[in-house]
Amino acid sequence: MVDPANSPLGKMLLEEITPVVMVLCTPNVEEACLKNGLSFVQMLTPFCNFNNIDVPVRTSSDHPYRLQKFKLRLFYASDIRQPNLEVAKERLKQVITQAGEEDFSELSLDPPQIGDFASRSESEILPSWFQFFNKELIRTLSFSDHEAFDHPVACLLVVSSKDEEPINKFVDLFNTNKLPSLLNDGVMDPKILKHYLLLHDNQDEPSEKATKILTEMRSTFGPNDCQLLCINSSQDGPIEHQENLWAPFKFDALPSQHLGCFLNIDDFNEIKNIMQELSSKHIIPYMEQKIRVLNQQVSATRKGFRNQIKNLWWRKGKEDALDSPSGPMYTFSSIESQIRILGDYAFMLRDYELALSNYRLISTDYKIDKVWKRYAGVQEMMGLTYFMLDQSRKEAEYCMENAFNTYFKIGSAGQQNATRCGLWWIGMLKTGEQHKEAATVYFRICGEDPLHSAVMLEQASYCYLLSKPAMLHKYGFHLVLSGDHYKKCDQVKHAIRTYRSAVSVYTETTWSHIKDHVHFHIGQWYAFLGMYDIAVTHMLEVLACSHQSKTNQELFLRDFLQIVQKTGKTFEVLKLQLPVINISSLKVIFEDQRTYASPAAANVKESLWHSLEEDMIPSLTTSRSNWLELQSKVMPKKYKESNICVAGEAIKVDVEFRNPLQISISISGVSLICEHSASPDEMKSDASSSIIDLQHDENKKLTTTGDVNSPFILSEVDLALASGETILVQLTVTPRVEGILKIVGVRWKLSSSVVGFYNFESNFLKKNILKGRRKSQHSPINELKFMVIKSIPKLEGFIHPLPENTYVGDLRHLVLELKNQSKDPVQNLKVKISHPRFLDVGNQDELNIEFPACLEKKINVEKSGVHAKTNNMSQDVFLFPEDIAVLEETPLRWPLWLRAAVPGDISLSIIVYYEMGETSSIMKYRTLRMHYNLKVFPSLDVSFQISPCPSRLQEFLLRMDIVNRTSSNSFQVHQLSSVGQQWKILLLQPVDSVLTSPSLFPGQALSCFFMLKDCKSLTSEDRISSSSPLLGSDVRLGPQTSEDETLFDVSRSPLADFHSCERLHQGPYQQGNQHAVDFILISRLLKDNIHSGASDPPHLFSHHACHCSLASISPISWLVDGPRTIHHDFAASFCEVNLRMSISNSADAVVSVHVNTSDSSSSSGQSSDAAVAAAHSSEDQAGWHDIPVANDIKITSDVLATRVGKSMSIESVSHFIWSGSSSTKVLLEPKSTVEVPLQICVFAPGIYDLSNYVLNWNLLPTTDQGNLGEEKPSSGECQGYPYYLTVLQAT
Amino acid sequence: MATTACFIIVSRNDIPIYEAEVGSAAKREDAAQLHQFILHAALDIVQDLAWTTSAMFLKSIDRFNDLVVSVYVTAGHILYIFN
Repeated sequence: MVDPANSPLGKMLLEEITPVVMVLCTPNVEEACLKNGLSFVQMLTPFCNFNNIDVPVRTSSDHPYRLQKFKLRLFYASDIRQPNLEVAKERLKQVITQAGEEDFSELSLDPPQIGDFASRSESEILPSWFQFFNKELIRTLSFSDHEAFDHPVACLLVVSSKDEEPINKFVDLFNTNKLPSLLNDGVMDPKILKHYLLLHDNQDEPSEKATKILTEMRSTFGPNDCQLLCINSSQDGPIEHQENLWAPFKFDALPSQHLGCFLNIDDFNEIKNIMQELSSKHIIPYMEQKIRVLNQQVSATRKGFRNQIKNLWWRKGKEDALDSPSGPMYTFSSIESQIRILGDYAFMLRDYELALSNYRLISTDYKIDKVWKRYAGVQEMMGLTYFMLDQSRKEAEYCMENAFNTYFKIGSAGQQNATRCGLWWIGMLKTGEQHKEAATVYFRICGEDPLHSAVMLEQASYCYLLSKPAMLHKYGFHLVLSGDHYKKCDQVKHAIRTYRSAVSVYTETTWSHIKDHVHFHIGQWYAFLGMYDIAVTHMLEVLACSHQSKTNQELFLRDFLQIVQKTGKTFEVLKLQLPVINISSLKVIFEDQRTYASPAAANVKESLWHSLEEDMIPSLTTSRSNWLELQSKVMPKKYKESNICVAGEAIKVDVEFRNPLQISISISGVSLICEHSASPDEMKSDASSSIIDLQHDENKKLTTTGDVNSPFILSEVDLALASGETILVQLTVTPRVEGILKIVGVRWKLSSSVVGFYNFESNFLKKNILKGRRKSQHSPINELKFMVIKSIPKLEGFIHPLPENTYVGDLRHLVLELKNQSKDPVQNLKVKISHPRFLDVGNQDELNIEFPACLEKKINVEKSGVHAKTNNMSQDVFLFPEDIAVLEETPLRWPLWLRAAVPGDISLSIIVYYEMGETSSIMKYRTLRMHYNLKVFPSLDVSFQISPCPSRLQEFLLRMDIVNRTSSNSFQVHQLSSVGQQWKILLLQPVDSVLTSPSLFPGQALSCFFMLKDCKSLTSEDRISSSSPLLGSDVRLGPQTSEDETLFDVSRSPLADFHSCERLHQGPYQQGNQHAVDFILISRLLKDNIHSGASDPPHLFSHHACHCSLASISPISWLVDGPRTIHHDFAASFCEVNLRMSISNSADAVVSVHVNTSDSSSSSGQSSDAAVAAAHSSEDQAGWHDIPVANDIKITSDVLATRVGKSMSIESVSHFIWSGSSSTKVLLEPKSTVEVPLQICVFAPGIYDLSNYVLNWNLLPTTDQGNLGEEKPSSGECQGYPYYLTVLQAT
Repeated sequence: MATTACFIIVSRNDIPIYEAEVGSAAKREDAAQLHQFILHAALDIVQDLAWTTSAMFLKSIDRFNDLVVSVYVTAGHILYIFN
């Protein structure tokens, strides 16, 4: 605990609560003093402080003690009155403004950092003028009537020796008219100690006269109370004093003034002696005496039990009479005033015990009297006394709080007193290291006056900072509050100062509103002071305020732009936050040997291109030197990995700009910042230069962009970003000269006044550091660095007319056009297509053919085309004829065929490879990458089902199901073709009966049946000798109108090619499966539905269904042949019917067939059921009835079987039996047919279903059977077909 | 009394995670920043108080004029502050 006397508050109390000496002097006195630039009081002031006066004091007790420190306060009588509040306020304001000016000189420096505060002491942190301000504030309350310590203890009357009749002057001086109101009003005892001083100016005349007057005075006023003071003894001009004694007391002195210049050391000593004598011999004894007298009085009237009772009773009675608002008037003679004076005198003489007891006494009196101001004043003094006694801090604080609250209670009159009380209280708390509590008190003494509040709040903030642990949040908050108050009373400089301190608290914070508020206001205020540069730096912080309301954003941006405008120059900002650049969106597109036909092509994954290119580009191991090798020879090793670009070809950089605000912003002149150097070495030196240097470089270079000699051309983009919008901007730089080109960053102009820069490299690096060691070998610097090589040819390619949307099966004729802008020809062209199912390269002669007329069947079909082209294809790469070169003036046109094979979003990638005619170039070849997106909608779903024809061998029923899956288009089915000579399609019924309408409407389904004939067994030699597998048979399905009469030839180039692709895709080609049939359905889009009119090319759709196999798993087929209707006389005998079963083996192996007939009525049905079930379970070993869709025949047989069972159960007795052998076993050679005779006996007329037989077949294993692992079952059971026999009674 | 209240969730490192202004009264333009200032300043008090009590809900720990700050401190020292 600090000794209270040494604490700041203690020191202040010892200075401020000291005896007051009233000075009355004549004008001549003042005149003499003014020679020194000082008034009389000022001249004496430095000598009123006694640090070692050593005076014995005896107050109420008998034990004297010694005073060491003592001080007198000198005031002119005219000053002893309550200061005018307005004047005081004005003065305080002046003090603050002055302090603001002084502090502001530091403001251009960096703001203080929070970390610094910890190491600094309180006095360093607190602005020095606070102390002064507080003192001034307290002084505004001096000479109040309810306190006695400001009441003059003594009166010093000074007369100059130059004055006429000095004795009379002395008398005149103490004239009641001139005395302060305190004495006249009766608040103070007018009989105070008087001391007479004669001032003599040694410059005027020798001191003889003065001595004479002194003796005169002594005889008049008494010998002890008169003294002579000689000043201005310096005979030889002004003296320069080593230390300026008056400096602490006279603030408005100019430094040029030599204060006390005519006072020599003798004068000093004389003044000192006089003052010391005055205090030790007169004032202190006088006070001692007064204390003793008063103490006796008080003891007599108030001490003791009797007095207390009397006092209480007396006061009770007085209560009703006195209820004026100001309370009873206490004259100096009243006992209350005397107690108060006693207390104050005791306090001033450091007899705190005595002071306290008296204060306590008077405190209760005032409380009972309800004179709150006096009560509070006494409480305040009690608090201070407790503090000085250092006994009970709690008591002290309680008293202070009580006083404070009481002052507050009395309203505006007590406001000033409350402030003073608060300040003292704060001093007390600070001494006790209770900074936090002190801060709350500061907060409480904020009055209505904003300036006053501002200072108090600022002091509160420092208290928070000084508290342990430091409360930085509170510190910042109170600084901001204080700043706001400062601003309210136009103390902008102070406002800036507080906010700047607050910024250090909020620098790292993410509390966005706070940050914005602080920076925005600092910016505004700096702008107000005309310091636009600093204003702009602060305003920049708030620009990206996406969290703010729209009005705020508008305000921020507007103010920012205004400030920028006021600076009168276009501002260049390295970290402009508006708009936000999405660095992760940065994408550099450049063309080395890889060139792109469209931007879409550049966006396709490199790996996809790479896989496509693999077969086309010459491998590194080839003997001839490729560009990579050449490059390594030409360039230093470390640039081997840097990118290559070609002079004259633009490098595109995609960057995303995002507007975080709710208001739209306009950006102009977005362009890249690039750097070009002729040789790699030069580049190296550039790379080490700092960003700022680069910028300067760039500014220089940018101005020359219009110049023909500039090494590169930059594109400029203007854009307007709506609220929250993100725009991807493509910027280009086109190098013109060989060398090294580096893309440094991007620059833009916001609202045509602020230029922002963004450095890709530094941000890239930052990101990489954050992300950690992720593929360090792929340095981003290299991504932005290019080696520019000299101009070489570049192909441009288009495919037209490639549709964006199409339907499945759409077949079109397209043209690939390749253009060469350069003078050098390119040759050795190759093409590869990612989706050969969709795109097919045609032949050169197909370029101008008419489609689809070219596909129509002609009498003599030319098949050479197919063969010629297949020669050109090697691993899906199409090689152009070697004599083809693309020259500058003639673009190369080449036919392409498109067929939309499957629905969905298809991205077609096409790579064109070409080689430079000129071999000296670093690059030998280039590739052109083309990319198209195709949306394919479903059109017709076609499915085929083949089932064996029960009535004929080698003939099959073909069922075609077509569903129109489109939503709006109608199709017209044109033709169905089977591929290959093995099969022949025949119509089962006339077309018109199948197709009720010529078109297939959206959503419509259609089923057609055809007969499919296997011609192979008949003409097996023909099949083998057939040169083309694609020759097939066709069935026309369209309406028989004249224009659609012709059939299309499915064996011609595009159809055949696409068909072979489909075959590859639609499933593995099974070599041994003769049952597989391929179908091609050709349909047209009905022209009525095409909105684009007649000019649209006719649309042809081809649907390919491959490997449609016979849906039966059984290798055998059989046919029961016999009479259908028999007339028989059952009266004679039962009827015997002979039947023939011809069994045919379609397998390549020998099959043993077991024909079982069964007669038993109900059991037969059940057994057949069981047999079917067994067949199932043999097929699916787990026993699950997993019925594949293709195996529809099984289901059919199942149905049959149950029906048989039912009929049996109804009839209960069978009317026919199988006669002849009940079980026949035959062996069938491969591809052979055997006839088995069957016989039944019928006993009654009726209609009989002869299906209750079962064929068990068994594939005999053969030695040459290659595919043993085939999933085909080696044995099986077939339920008999229904065969209805009608037996009639013969008449 | 129709005033707006402010609710903020603050992470351990004094970073506001969630902010909401609730209440029926018409929004004052500077309410958002004032609330932020008050709540931010209250963090000091929370830091002091949170370790002295076992209670998680600290009612009216700080006030500024008529705005009272209450805090709910979770075990993970995430604060929910009401204004």
